[in-house]
Amino acid sequence: MSRGRAMAALPPPRSTWDAINPLRLLGELSETRYWMYLLLLPSALLITAIVLFPTVYGFQLSFTEMRLNRPAGNGAFVGLKHYQRMLADPIFWLSLRNTAVWVTFSIVIEFVVGLVAALALNRNLPGGKILAVLILVPYFLPNVVAGNMWALMLDSRVGVINDILVRIGLLHEYKAWFADPNTAMATAIFVEAWHSFPFFTLLIMAGLKGIPADLYKAADIDGAGAFAQLRLITLPMLRTIIAAAVILRVIGLVNSPDLLLILTQGGPGRSTQVLSLYAFQNAYSDFNFGYAGALSVVMFVLLMLFAWAYIRLSKVNQD
Amino acid sequence: MATLSIKGVRKSFGAVEVLKTIDIELEDGGFLVLLGPSGCGKSTLLSIIAGLEPSSGGDVIIGERNVNDVHPKDRNIAMVFQSYALYPTMPVRRNIGFGLEMRKVPAAERDAAVQRAAELLQIEHLLDRKPGQLSGGQRQRVAMGRAIVRDPDLFLFDEPLSNLDAKLRVEMRTEIKRLHDRLGTSIVYVTHDQIEAMTLGTKVAVMKGGVIQQIADPQTIYEKPANMFVAGFIGSPTMNFLSGTLERSGGTIVLRHGEALLALPGLEQDVGAHIGKSVVAGIRPETFHPGEGQGTLTGTVDVVEPTGPDTMVILSIGGQLLTARLGSRDRPKLGDTMTLAVDTAAINLFDPDTGDRI
Repeated sequence: MSRGRAMAALPPPRSTWDAINPLRLLGELSETRYWMYLLLLPSALLITAIVLFPTVYGFQLSFTEMRLNRPAGNGAFVGLKHYQRMLADPIFWLSLRNTAVWVTFSIVIEFVVGLVAALALNRNLPGGKILAVLILVPYFLPNVVAGNMWALMLDSRVGVINDILVRIGLLHEYKAWFADPNTAMATAIFVEAWHSFPFFTLLIMAGLKGIPADLYKAADIDGAGAFAQLRLITLPMLRTIIAAAVILRVIGLVNSPDLLLILTQGGPGRSTQVLSLYAFQNAYSDFNFGYAGALSVVMFVLLMLFAWAYIRLSKVNQD
Repeated sequence: MATLSIKGVRKSFGAVEVLKTIDIELEDGGFLVLLGPSGCGKSTLLSIIAGLEPSSGGDVIIGERNVNDVHPKDRNIAMVFQSYALYPTMPVRRNIGFGLEMRKVPAAERDAAVQRAAELLQIEHLLDRKPGQLSGGQRQRVAMGRAIVRDPDLFLFDEPLSNLDAKLRVEMRTEIKRLHDRLGTSIVYVTHDQIEAMTLGTKVAVMKGGVIQQIADPQTIYEKPANMFVAGFIGSPTMNFLSGTLERSGGTIVLRHGEALLALPGLEQDVGAHIGKSVVAGIRPETFHPGEGQGTLTGTVDVVEPTGPDTMVILSIGGQLLTARLGSRDRPKLGDTMTLAVDTAAINLFDPDTGDRI
């Protein structure tokens, strides 16, 4: 109704030029409901070009034979061949299990350390601002830099960490942390957690600023101690932010093989082989893009399922 | 129920002293209103009473107990916040019973207490909703429910009506007064609204700059303000201040303001020492009446503001503007010369140098 009135309120064209003046026509269009679609068009085109097309192409690839080192038969539709191979591939299952371990432990450690850091920084203690910047520094480092830095610090011959641990008596001799299947994954998770916990700190700190101080005063008077306040006020109030942070980090951890590529390359043996790394190696070592595509599709579906289940379980939409 | 004694309480934030030696005594079952403009220290004082803020000196005694080093939860107080401070993720039932839950009161006993409080405040139907689903007035009731459910020694209210619209504010004000009459628990109530202070308090402490300017019952505060700040802060429209010189004329004390003379028969204050000196006469707008009287003032009508029940007439007397609250049918014309009688017994004289009541 009101839109109809708005259109009717526009003055009629004063001349022939006025009738075809693009600015005038644009003005008229802006009063209609089609304007919304016109405004959405640039972003829709961009999303189609950089998100939708690669995704659809990845799906298509997973049903296609595409081995760059064996050009014969490339591009042929092979149906579910790659998926059938995957089911029988022990490395896929091992990678899946390792991915679960890698993601779960990294997320838990990053969240807990990030939360504690955010709670500490939120107390506005002297020097808090400098500490906040220092805590965020690891997250500003590119994965490649952080990975190589830690690889050097943990090096079995010249690593400073080994030196310190030997000096304080925790180790008898220098240890090759990434060469031992028993310690490689745990060490990689430690490096990953060190690198990414500031992401949780940053988001949780932003969330904490939004919790009214009066709630804690009321809780003080009601007799809730620090732990009860954390459990019953802080964490429920941060639920949405935590859910968003966890989903973003899980996506990052599942999809990015770079840190493990630098630290272990999936080894020793296959003790740190994860799905993203396996897909990467299939594509760029074996040049088997069809199989790598199928692995990526599985990761995509698993992530979608995880995000859906997590949002439901965390009851983000309930408040 | 308990008495409250505040003895020499001080508070500084660094070099800034926000409370300067506060002394207050509140009787058992009394209703103390801390009234003052923003930044006067009233909320800080309330936080000190609650234990949410440490004082820099002095004692807070609730009942017979000095609570200086007692945690807020152990002071047996309940507080209603301006923001209501309801826990957004908990339903109303749990919000109200949270204090009892934290004190490990058995669930059945807790539920019964929540039910009683909900019935008293007529919010039984809201118990399963979350705060986000409630209106401002309903949230206010829940906040009060959370306070009364614990049967505390002392209620603390921190500007509880400030976030409500005007109509609801009046309703909730009545509700709070009724609640106080029914429960009889001592209350400390912070507000910057003088109407709330006058209607609710049995005792009003007017504060400014961290100092109590006057502490008395509302009528005394209104009729005999201790200084010009209190006089100007209480009352709407505010008290008129007419400066002049005190003279004695044939046995009657007279205030001379330029050409105008205002006889002051029946003045309650002893002003003998101020004859021949400058003073400020505080005249409430409602003490003016049209016509002649023992003390009269004549001036030119500058502005006429009908408000419905009253007409506010602003008169220019010797260059100074005075507001008179007249009847709704008194509608003088602009520029008219008007003579008003003043109830001189209600006039307060202040020392212009100190601002204190003579």
